[in-house]
Amino acid sequence: MSTQTPVSTTTRSAAPDRFVKSGSTGLGKQIFNVLTTTDHKMIGILYMSLAFAFFAFGGLLALGIRAELWEPGLQVVVSKDQYNQLFTMHGTIMLLMFGTPLFNGFANFLVPLQIGAVDMAFPRLNMFALWLTGFGSVIAVSGFLTPQGAASFGWTAYAPLSDTTFTPGLGGDLWVFGLALQGFGTILGSVNIITTIITMRMPGMTMFRMPIFTWNALITGVLVLMAFPPLASALLALGADRRFEANIFNPENGGPILWQHLFWFFGHPEVYVLALPFFGIVTEIIPAFSRKPIFGYKTLVGATIAIAALSVTVWAHHMYTLGTVMLEFFAFMTMLIAVPTGVKFFNWIGTMWRGSITFETPMLFTLGFLTTFIFGGLTGVILSTPVLDFHIQDTYFVVAHFHYVMAGTVVFGMFAGFYFWWPKMFGHKLSESIGKVHFWLLTIGFHMTFLIQHWLGVIGAPRRYVNYLAEDNFDWLNQVSTVGAFIMGASTLPFLLNVVLTHIRTEKIEVDDPWGFGASLEWATSCPPPRHNFHSLPRIRSERPAFDLHHPEVAAQDHMLEQEPAVNVRTN
Amino acid sequence: MRPAARIFWILGVFFALVAAAYGTVTGVYEPWGIEMVGLATVIALSGLGFLIAIFLTLTGRHHSFGSADSLDGEVEDEPGVQGSFSPYSWAPLWASLGASLCFLGIAAGWWIFAFGIIVGVYGVLLWVLEFSRGQHAH
Amino acid sequence: MIPQAPQRSRRNSRMAAGLALAVLFLAGCTAEQQRGFMPGHDAGQVTNQTERITNFWVGSWSVLVLVGLMIWGLTIWCAIAYRRRKTDTGFPIQLRYHVPLELMFTLLPVVMVLTLFYFTQRDVGEIERHANEPDMVVEVVGKQWSWDFNYVSEDVHEPAGVQSFATGEEGAEESLPVLYLPVDQNVEIRLESRDVVHSFWVVDFLYKKDMVPGFTNSFQVTPTLEGTYSGKCAELCGEFHSDMLFNLEVVSQEEFDAHMQQLEDDGYTGQLGVDLNRNQEEWSMREAHEEAGPRVREEADQ
Repeated sequence: MSTQTPVSTTTRSAAPDRFVKSGSTGLGKQIFNVLTTTDHKMIGILYMSLAFAFFAFGGLLALGIRAELWEPGLQVVVSKDQYNQLFTMHGTIMLLMFGTPLFNGFANFLVPLQIGAVDMAFPRLNMFALWLTGFGSVIAVSGFLTPQGAASFGWTAYAPLSDTTFTPGLGGDLWVFGLALQGFGTILGSVNIITTIITMRMPGMTMFRMPIFTWNALITGVLVLMAFPPLASALLALGADRRFEANIFNPENGGPILWQHLFWFFGHPEVYVLALPFFGIVTEIIPAFSRKPIFGYKTLVGATIAIAALSVTVWAHHMYTLGTVMLEFFAFMTMLIAVPTGVKFFNWIGTMWRGSITFETPMLFTLGFLTTFIFGGLTGVILSTPVLDFHIQDTYFVVAHFHYVMAGTVVFGMFAGFYFWWPKMFGHKLSESIGKVHFWLLTIGFHMTFLIQHWLGVIGAPRRYVNYLAEDNFDWLNQVSTVGAFIMGASTLPFLLNVVLTHIRTEKIEVDDPWGFGASLEWATSCPPPRHNFHSLPRIRSERPAFDLHHPEVAAQDHMLEQEPAVNVRTN
Repeated sequence: MRPAARIFWILGVFFALVAAAYGTVTGVYEPWGIEMVGLATVIALSGLGFLIAIFLTLTGRHHSFGSADSLDGEVEDEPGVQGSFSPYSWAPLWASLGASLCFLGIAAGWWIFAFGIIVGVYGVLLWVLEFSRGQHAH
Repeated sequence: MIPQAPQRSRRNSRMAAGLALAVLFLAGCTAEQQRGFMPGHDAGQVTNQTERITNFWVGSWSVLVLVGLMIWGLTIWCAIAYRRRKTDTGFPIQLRYHVPLELMFTLLPVVMVLTLFYFTQRDVGEIERHANEPDMVVEVVGKQWSWDFNYVSEDVHEPAGVQSFATGEEGAEESLPVLYLPVDQNVEIRLESRDVVHSFWVVDFLYKKDMVPGFTNSFQVTPTLEGTYSGKCAELCGEFHSDMLFNLEVVSQEEFDAHMQQLEDDGYTGQLGVDLNRNQEEWSMREAHEEAGPRVREEADQ
């Protein structure tokens, strides 16, 4: 590593914007921008806005579900089918219209900045993918506007329940084709991300100097390429069954089992498509607020690749009770995933160990993620063994588990990322004090909602039940959970308030790195960055170029310490 | 190129091994023989890994991708124009609108599909010819 | 800056105190807590498998809670001990790798996972084992949204089941269809479905299995405690999924025989087979699977 100050600048520019329209300013110009932009930062922000809108909508559906379960009997929904629509669309929205576009949003915004590129490899394809995701999501959700309502066969759409024999109606068709369409959007977006990372890194930005977020975006992109085509084919086959009576998933041909294999071959990697980018986000945040480099960078990359590779070989652990799967094989592969996940935890903790930690809001959300996700991981180990899964499969224990895993990563990770990169996206820093209120409300609401659902599942509450027996005595457990859900719902209000107040009140940020200890390259350009990202680029000599640029003395010492680790540079 | 290709070689080999293991284990121990759905998809995964790996290896051999993989790369190594990036474009909107109307048409009614084809063809033509007309005409 | 030595001794004494507390706590546990909140009865084990499952559950959780406490502890420790004080300036050691430590934290989970896998494959084999000649055979047919129970060995059946129309109201439980099983008999339960995928779950058996159209599933179990247990459909099967409930009565052999006689006298002879389904096709998958047989078969007769 170079000991000299790693600053070196030269101009790298995109082709001159020869025909940027000098249209009128104001609203017209803004609408024009949104409709036609090819700027990866704008597209990233659009992805995130789309995802957040669906997050809010899916959250409202969840509140409906929780309110309905307050006590035995029907309180909120008019018919039981309506309740099935609520949880079907809640699951679909949260996984495919919130989580996946959110990955695309963060990756779009950050990847070119972090590798020193001027834009994504295919700017127009990028916008095309966004539109497909958006239109596909709207088509799938528009089932709510049809007379029979939206799809009601669960987001897993098990055949033959999802066939027209058992679920007739336009809502189901819209769901199938809308998801197929937006699946193509996700695939194209990932192709773009992978190509960008492989071909557009700046000089000196070797693969093993890329920020962990970029690594995780690359691996998530690969995972999307592996997982979404089976989904697309399964959905198109289901669509052919529904519209053209193709009989692909007819029980006569073993269709129910075929569907479950195909669906979970997508479904399990999808979980990691949602998780890995947010692992990447927290891995960016922890070093910045611990004032240390990532502990075990290469181990972390290896663990991520291992998780991705293993995640496509465990699909049938969702089907232990089906009776036709090789239990031992899938149990073994599933348990193996615990190893790289554990490695990640030790690396995160190792990064904080002997650090100098401050608790800005992004770091709070990251700690929230760590403490939440570990519990989801533990229940995951419980579920990995068929002996116990036979009892808790399809109960609220599973619901609680995947909310700890999914919401723990996506929601906490998202807010951590929002608070962390808000200055980079908009040039304003969100209010710390409101952010802390937001964090505590979310954390309390979250654990209140989902912790108790583990008990509910173990003592016998199946998931997707609109109603329960008065004799079941589930009332008080459900009521605690419902109250928690409303607290969690309310926690979004401080965030929205924060966004509004911040943009009215605060001054624009003038420095490149408002946090002071950012590691990756996006902190070496202005807030927000110019159209083609950089006016000047630093020389890349480690995995944290921006840190080296802003703290040359540590970069130099850091190098020295690699030979003499006994010297403590902490000064009081 | 080479480190990126290596990742895909690893994935290809890994999935080939998993496919072999899965096929053997289900073939030997399951009463109804080899589980075909999973085996076929894992083999396809292995193929995907090898496909990308071979492509990257071959392109890496014939083209230079600058000093991105060089530990001593300097910013000055790649001065000047980075490529040609469309500053704005209407084509993605029209093309995706066409695709969406087609999908909606299959679900909800064929007349929508017809509109989708029209809009889609316009979008694709716009996309392909965007930089071959007007001030860009050859 | 971090006072290491005194902290450690204090931590040791604190740990001892914690252990003592944990022992006291466990001693004061109710039976329910000792089962790890798994459903169960103080009178005894409900089936021949529940003890195995409950022990597995408690054992796994004890290890996992330790792991969890360790990670939570480390996280919170980091947050407290390594927080940046107002007086702090400069940077901590910029440590990037510690290979022995990382190796240890990779190998340790590997060992734990292998242990878990060993117990898993041992117990799964026991739970899924099929005796060649069970004492009796019951066929359960799932349908939207209830159950038909056929006593194959006795060639009688319960009256055709109807869904619960009063779920949520007091007393709805008594109106549910009932399956009778004799105590201490090894029963093979064959699962069929006439329409969509259902799942047969008796909560207190701690076991469920899917009912898949076009394919016969089965498992064997020996109920060991008389009583009434609630059964539920656990796989989403349409609008009235939550009304697809039943009760399981485990009774003595005499009562069971009397009930069979009663059914025969009432004319419920024969079977309500899967062929009563609304889609009249012959489902060809079934034969292939019946020839193949169950996953874990007992080599010799019991």
